[in-house]
Amino acid sequence: MAIALQILATGFAAGAVYGLVGVGHSLLFRLTGVVHFAFGELIALAVFVTLLVAVGMGPVSQTSVGGVRFLIALAAGLVVTAAASAGAYFLAIEPYRARGSVIGWVAASLAVAYAIRTLLVVFFDRPAYVFPDPLPFRHVGHDGFWRIGGATIQARSLFVAAAALGLAALGAALLQRTRFGRALEAIAQDFDAAVLVGLPVARLVGLAFALAGVWAGLAAILAAPSTAFDVDAAARYGLYGLVAAAVVWFDARQALVAGIAIGLVQAAVTSAHVGRLELGAAYRDVVPLALGLLLFAWRAQAMREVVE
Amino acid sequence: MTAFTDAFQELRAGWRPRATLSVAAFALAALAPLVVGDARLADLAGGLYLACAAVGLAFVVGIAGLPSLAQGAFVAVGAVVAAHLLAAGTPTAVAAILGGVGGGAAGALVGYAFARLPPAGFAAATWIVSWLVAFALLSITWFLGGSQGLVVSGGPTTAQHYELALALTGLAALGYTALVRAPFGLRLAAARDREAAARALRVPVLHVRVLAVAASGAVAGIAGALGVQLAGVADPTQYGPFLSFRLIVVVLIGGALAPLGAPAGVIVLGILSIAADLIGRLENVAASRGHTLLTAILLLGIVSLGWEGIVRAPRRARRGSSGSGPAGSAPAALEARGLGKSYGSIVAAEDVALGIEPGRITALVGPNGSGKTTVLRMIAGAVAPDAGSIDAPRGAVVRTLQATAVFSTLTPLEHVLVASAGRRSRAGFVRSLFATPEARAEDAAFVAYARTLLDRFGIPHDVPAGELPVSDQRALMLAAAKATGASVLLVDEPTAGASAAEASRIVHLLGSLRDEGLALLVVEHNLGVVRRLADRVLVLDAGRVIADGPPDAVAADERVRAAYLGARRL
Repeated sequence: MAIALQILATGFAAGAVYGLVGVGHSLLFRLTGVVHFAFGELIALAVFVTLLVAVGMGPVSQTSVGGVRFLIALAAGLVVTAAASAGAYFLAIEPYRARGSVIGWVAASLAVAYAIRTLLVVFFDRPAYVFPDPLPFRHVGHDGFWRIGGATIQARSLFVAAAALGLAALGAALLQRTRFGRALEAIAQDFDAAVLVGLPVARLVGLAFALAGVWAGLAAILAAPSTAFDVDAAARYGLYGLVAAAVVWFDARQALVAGIAIGLVQAAVTSAHVGRLELGAAYRDVVPLALGLLLFAWRAQAMREVVE
Repeated sequence: MTAFTDAFQELRAGWRPRATLSVAAFALAALAPLVVGDARLADLAGGLYLACAAVGLAFVVGIAGLPSLAQGAFVAVGAVVAAHLLAAGTPTAVAAILGGVGGGAAGALVGYAFARLPPAGFAAATWIVSWLVAFALLSITWFLGGSQGLVVSGGPTTAQHYELALALTGLAALGYTALVRAPFGLRLAAARDREAAARALRVPVLHVRVLAVAASGAVAGIAGALGVQLAGVADPTQYGPFLSFRLIVVVLIGGALAPLGAPAGVIVLGILSIAADLIGRLENVAASRGHTLLTAILLLGIVSLGWEGIVRAPRRARRGSSGSGPAGSAPAALEARGLGKSYGSIVAAEDVALGIEPGRITALVGPNGSGKTTVLRMIAGAVAPDAGSIDAPRGAVVRTLQATAVFSTLTPLEHVLVASAGRRSRAGFVRSLFATPEARAEDAAFVAYARTLLDRFGIPHDVPAGELPVSDQRALMLAAAKATGASVLLVDEPTAGASAAEASRIVHLLGSLRDEGLALLVVEHNLGVVRRLADRVLVLDAGRVIADGPPDAVAADERVRAAYLGARRL
């Protein structure tokens, strides 16, 4: 019982962020038919630009940041990410998508990913970073932790889970209730028809790329103080988000659920054991990815062939 | 002995300046150990193993049109298998072959699991595969020694490795060349250009794609197996998704449609790494990082210019050939009873019965939305009926898609070769790869048959079909359907949008196919064409057959007039 509670508490927060990234992947795929391979690196960009503005490149402790400066840093991080995400769409993805060159946009979005990654690693070359926490979670419970029925629960992780779900709900409301959202729906249903009826499709899709970057970046920034952070951790958000979206073939709602499931599997692999069988942290990436691929392959077998 | 002289003659006939250039380049490269120091030579050998894996990837990306991001993972599988075998004292050659088997098996698995997906999905799936293998290498210690890696010692000298890598790259390029021209490569290219049309011509799309990914995985596995011995240590960090990315870069820079594109791409990457060294020394940035950044920027530049790579696709001219082509097809009839199909609440076809007989043309007409295409698809086997039965000899039926569904980059000759590939018995993967005498003789015969057929249909042989006039494209799809050897042809709107002259040409061609004894079912809107052509007419309305008989009788039928013109007289 305690172990189940533990898994739920640790897995849910990470999974909610994966799910949110998965929603972003799904939205962009529905809009353009494109898989955004640079998503994870854009998230890394958001986190590290925020870190840079908040505390510089020097060592930080979890408390060394003021509220106002953090808000400025957050804004800077999100603006840079929005610009980079929209820029990646206009420069690296749209030209090839328009030409129908799949390998073109695949390679171009990977090139964007590796360019961002290399730039970040040049400036942030330590193996891991502590991200300052602007919210006073360390005053909650025992130094930020609660003990409930034998499980140790980080107060922060509940906040991260709630924030990610809140962002997902806000995003859904934005898509359903606004003119912008309805325009995106029109583009998703028929790209060419949307162009023909005079929607500014390129601008709208660029904005969607920017917003997807902002949403996922914000979730990652909120989650970042929970553990040590590096570029690879952000790349994993992108990757697990993609797995979550792929296993449900880019259905946004289901991707959120799939992301949470991945988080739970990861937590279970890390801490649970069945009898003497215990996998441990070494398998925390391998098992969810292998399961995800199996599900994806199963899903692919059911895909209908194109009938012309 | 004659087989060898034949092969030599053929080689001489097909020789191009490009081939002289390639041979000269390889000969020159083979001399490198005489002038290059050992450390540099090891770099070069490593680069050539990379090139070898990239040639395999170029085939999958360029010819099969699958954006695979798992090639680095297949290299890793080969390396892991070989590292364990070498550590246990297995000879290099055996380890290399088993590494290739491992890579090939991994490729077959990935291909089978994901080749059904649209290209974007295939890219996503193979990218996840790359990450999975990378994580497995790093975190599972028994797999590849975890972060320390596995030490592999002994084996060939650096110079031997270099020559071996050069030879393997040459062989991979030769294999690429042989397969592109063979039915295997043509079928892949057809499926790449237009999957549904390829399937209608009975191309086993999934099968050839799985085989392509497996073959390229095997090449990657061999390269990985030998590369790990050259490096002396199986270092898990070398095989991550970044390797897959580098291989894609190599392929795109060098050109995916030519066998020597990938090696050219590796040379560019090598020059880039020297440049990164120089810049790194000036700016005090670690060279490896500068290299990655330069690579990414170069790739962005290249794809944004729409560049097709350093080495372009060679012209695929085929010499005149002789030999007896496939035998004519035995006449066959088709009988369908009680066919029904609904989509949700919409009934597309209900209790449809029809017979198609040899030497006769049956026309299927009806207003838009009356269910003609649904009936055609059910008879062709593209859509499963909800009710009813279809009796026809196995493999006797083939369907053409709407008039202009051609494979735009293939020539008409290649269209016919794709369509007739199902009738060949000596054009399998292995025979094509080694271009055995039987395979070449059969190829000559089928090329001769294709040329005769194209002449009869009045279609030029060697221009890309996308550049043909629409009238020729229509005729081409009929020629391709005929070349499959099917005795029952289902033809979907052959004159849609055609001028009167074009329609006459099609009527003439369809008539000549009938006179050969083929059984034809033609879906057609142009009632003038129907009256000139059909022996029997079926009229569909709202999914039901409302009239069935000779054209004149059907044309006089009140219910048919009502269906076309409305119930009340104007």
